[in-house]
Amino acid sequence: MDNYVLSSSFYCVVYNGQCIKANLPEGVDFENHTICFQNQKPVEIQFVYLLDQNESMDINIVIKEHVEVQMIETKIFENHSHFQKKIYVQESAMLHIFSENDSSNEEDIYVKEEVFLQNDALCQCGYAELSDGCYDGKYHYYLQGEGAQAKVRMAVLSKKKESKHYEVFIQHCCPLTYGQMDNYGVVKDEGKLIIDGVGSITKGQHGSASHQTNKIMVFDEKCVAQANPYLYIDEYDVKASHAAAVGKMDEEHLYYLQSRGLTKKQAMHLITYGYLKPVIAVIDNKMIKERFETALSKVGA
Amino acid sequence: MSTLVIKDLHVEVGEKEILKGIDLTIQTGEVHAIMGPNGNGKSTLLSAIMGHPKYRVTQGSIELDGQDVLAMSVDERSRAGLFLGMQYPQEIPGITNSDFLKAAMNARLEKPISLFQFIRALDKNIAELDMDENLAHRYLNEGFSGGEKKRNEILQMKLLQPRFALLDEIDSGLDVDALRVVSEAINSMRNDHFGCVMVSHYERLFELVPPTHVHVLIKGQVVMSGGYELIEKIDQEGYEWIKELGYELESQEERKPIILENCGRKDNSYHG
Ligand SMILES: Nc1ncnc2c1ncn2[C@@H]1O[C@H](COP(=O)(O)OP(=O)(O)O)[C@@H](O)[C@H]1O
Ligand SMILES: [Mg+2]
Repeated sequence: MDNYVLSSSFYCVVYNGQCIKANLPEGVDFENHTICFQNQKPVEIQFVYLLDQNESMDINIVIKEHVEVQMIETKIFENHSHFQKKIYVQESAMLHIFSENDSSNEEDIYVKEEVFLQNDALCQCGYAELSDGCYDGKYHYYLQGEGAQAKVRMAVLSKKKESKHYEVFIQHCCPLTYGQMDNYGVVKDEGKLIIDGVGSITKGQHGSASHQTNKIMVFDEKCVAQANPYLYIDEYDVKASHAAAVGKMDEEHLYYLQSRGLTKKQAMHLITYGYLKPVIAVIDNKMIKERFETALSKVGA
Repeated sequence: MSTLVIKDLHVEVGEKEILKGIDLTIQTGEVHAIMGPNGNGKSTLLSAIMGHPKYRVTQGSIELDGQDVLAMSVDERSRAGLFLGMQYPQEIPGITNSDFLKAAMNARLEKPISLFQFIRALDKNIAELDMDENLAHRYLNEGFSGGEKKRNEILQMKLLQPRFALLDEIDSGLDVDALRVVSEAINSMRNDHFGCVMVSHYERLFELVPPTHVHVLIKGQVVMSGGYELIEKIDQEGYEWIKELGYELESQEERKPIILENCGRKDNSYHG
């Protein structure tokens, strides 16, 4: 459980809902399961969430008006745990998150995250989902103020006998809102992966845009993969696009890399890394790149 | 000194036999030119030597200094010192050229190359090949022009220092200046520890990189071997005269991109 790596000078470690270790910057408080950001200057901070078997935790995060936060999240959960998080991004606040899931569970984990965005708020989030076991994750974004923007990138690896289901949902509740998701998955061995991408624009939310890409690459014969795009649009004056594809890894790519001396394993690692890499672009930070690379090689991708 | 020996090589693609008994011996220090009209099996020969999974060897042998090449996987062949500069290099999104080059170099080193040494080697070769510096940071061959891809193949050859380089139409897509640069690069590698097999249609490349041996490949067989005079004759007269010697030509136009398998599926689900 304590095999996490801290890489920011400000951090907060939350174990089964209790803060067990923290160094919080000025203007950031943690009380009653709620973390509140009112910092004057932009901060970078790392959160580590630890959950024991059968435990559950609820966390609320509030980013006050005009506040800027860069957040690195490390999630380490055990079997049958439930994690729920609500984030409130207030007017003109900016939140960037790089969220890595390094759980080495075997059985199910349930995660539900909801992000509520007010006027001109921005949330950009990259999820590196490299956990070991079965997983059911729901990531919901509600654009509740004009000019609110949500940009989500997801990189999922499903391997061995893992079964993973992800639902990324962006609801446009106001005009002039922007939602974008790019969900990428790699499935190996006997892994199973379902990604549902849902964009919804209700009537009256003119000038909004909802874009999504869902792509899964399959390495082995016994993999099961589905990429399902859903767009519900009840308004004319909007922009929307979606693309979904499940494809086998390109044998010619593998051959090309092997013809330069890389073993099949090395070649597959490089292809996987290249495929999932867009997730690290959400935060401009060299350390995140390194963390992601290490995490990928640790799971033997 | 090393030797690559090909004996009675038969190769099938799909159900069709393309190579019908090739015998060829190449020593380091030599440069062999393989000529022949399109569709007669030149790329098939080079791909079979490299071990492309779609080219099935049904008979014969390939040995590198007595080692059984056919028993090796593709990457083992590369590490044993074979290199194929491909006619159609793959574009691989997400992998930067420099990450790829570093991984390829490290694949044959006991200790990984230091970042400093790697960058120095890369910069030096990129400058010598007169390549755009940004190509190192772009995704592997993605959006490269035909000429850039070919230069990138030569860059790999220079960094990996193979014992035998097989260059498949390395001159196609190159303008006059680029051809000169690439030829100089090949010539700079020529020594007693380096052998080369070049496939090309154009005399120009062979003028700049004069081969020591020339072979004409027709319908999956080497019908003639000789020296530079063969290139001159083909350049002047084409291949018609070969018919008069009793050989039929494979007349088919070369199909451009070789699609070996439908890799991407249009629908959204996959159940293996
Ligand atoms: N992957 C392939 N699938 C089907 N046919 C192929 C494939 N590769 C080559 N061939 C066939 O093999 C023959 C020889 O092709 P190739 O070796 O590419 O010729 P060359 O390089 O001399 O132009 C041609 O008839 C070509 O159509
Ligand atoms: Mg060819």
